Amino acid sequence: MNQERHKGQPGHQGGAGAPDNRLRKELPEERPPSAAPRGEPEEKAPPVLTGRQRLLQSLWPPRVSRAQLIVALLLFGLGFGLAVQVASHSEGDTALRGARQEDLVRILDELDDRTARLEEEQQNLEGQRSELENSSDQAEEARRQTLAKERQLGVLAGTVAAEGPGITVTVEDPQDAVGADQLLDAVQELRAAGAEAIQLNGVRVVAGTYLTERTDGDAGVSVDGNKIAAPYRFKVIGKPQDLEPALNIPGGVVQTLEKEQATVVVERRTKIVVDALRAAKRPDYARSSAR
Amino acid sequence: MIAVLGLVVGVVVGLLVRPEVPAAVEPYLPIAVVAALDAVFGGLRAMLDGIFDDKVFVVSFLSNVVVAALIVFLGDELGVGAQLSTGVVVVLGIRIFSNAAAIRRHVFRA
Repeated sequence: MNQERHKGQPGHQGGAGAPDNRLRKELPEERPPSAAPRGEPEEKAPPVLTGRQRLLQSLWPPRVSRAQLIVALLLFGLGFGLAVQVASHSEGDTALRGARQEDLVRILDELDDRTARLEEEQQNLEGQRSELENSSDQAEEARRQTLAKERQLGVLAGTVAAEGPGITVTVEDPQDAVGADQLLDAVQELRAAGAEAIQLNGVRVVAGTYLTERTDGDAGVSVDGNKIAAPYRFKVIGKPQDLEPALNIPGGVVQTLEKEQATVVVERRTKIVVDALRAAKRPDYARSSAR
Repeated sequence: MIAVLGLVVGVVVGLLVRPEVPAAVEPYLPIAVVAALDAVFGGLRAMLDGIFDDKVFVVSFLSNVVVAALIVFLGDELGVGAQLSTGVVVVLGIRIFSNAAAIRRHVFRA
């Protein structure tokens, strides 16, 4: 390369005709082309062409020569490498490709730190999640138990309907001789025999139920202030095998009622529905002392 | 003309084929390309000067590429690859500019 240049420049200088200044050698070099037809032939035999003419001449017409083919091969390699490099550089993340090694190491370190931090955070969050899941499971369990308890207590308190095996007791009282005390005896007997839910003529019988004679002179009794009259129908949930004998024992409820000319029919049922309800009442004075 | 065709065909083939650059060659390819560009500009200038010699061109082209790759390799081994690459690119850029200036004077007479 440098060889060429050094060879070339003096040649032109000579052709241009001795420039006095080395720095300005380029200028004389340019002049000769215009004056080439006259100036150059003095020294060189072939007609000297300007650079532009030489360029055009070499471009057209195309000549196939060994030199051209070799140069074409080299330029093919150059073009190929150029295109490959450009293509490989323009695709992919160019931000990292040009980065120096120290920068890359720093970026890698930062990424590692970040990964560690995020993993720590992930562990924290997963711990929190499992804690919350546990506690919500526990809360769910507690809620379920409370609900079950509420149902059990609701059956006792008469706030929910109940169903199960039991008996029905029907007391016909044509003489209007059955009073509140006999009915209360029947209820007590049933309770003692393990009755869990009792309904008397559509009135739920609970712990605080009271039975009184009617004050208006009509036949019948009043249960918790609800006036009822014969026939008295008990619906009782409990173990039928316990309840029925409890009523039928000698000198028991049935015999006492029959002495009053009433007829008593006791039937066992596999399914009794006690659906009379009672509003839950908050006690005015009594407070739970538990817990 | 054949040479220009060679260049064009090389670019087209390179763009169409899109070969994966081997990792071993990857650091040297850009410098080699720049060095080859320098050789090509030098050859063009020589042609305009009327002193183009294909043998000189071939030798200068290949030696440019090899020396550039060698410098980068050496720089990588010494741990100053990035700086040395920059230096090579700067030097080759200066040469390309000066050659381009000479070509410009020939072609545009300015």
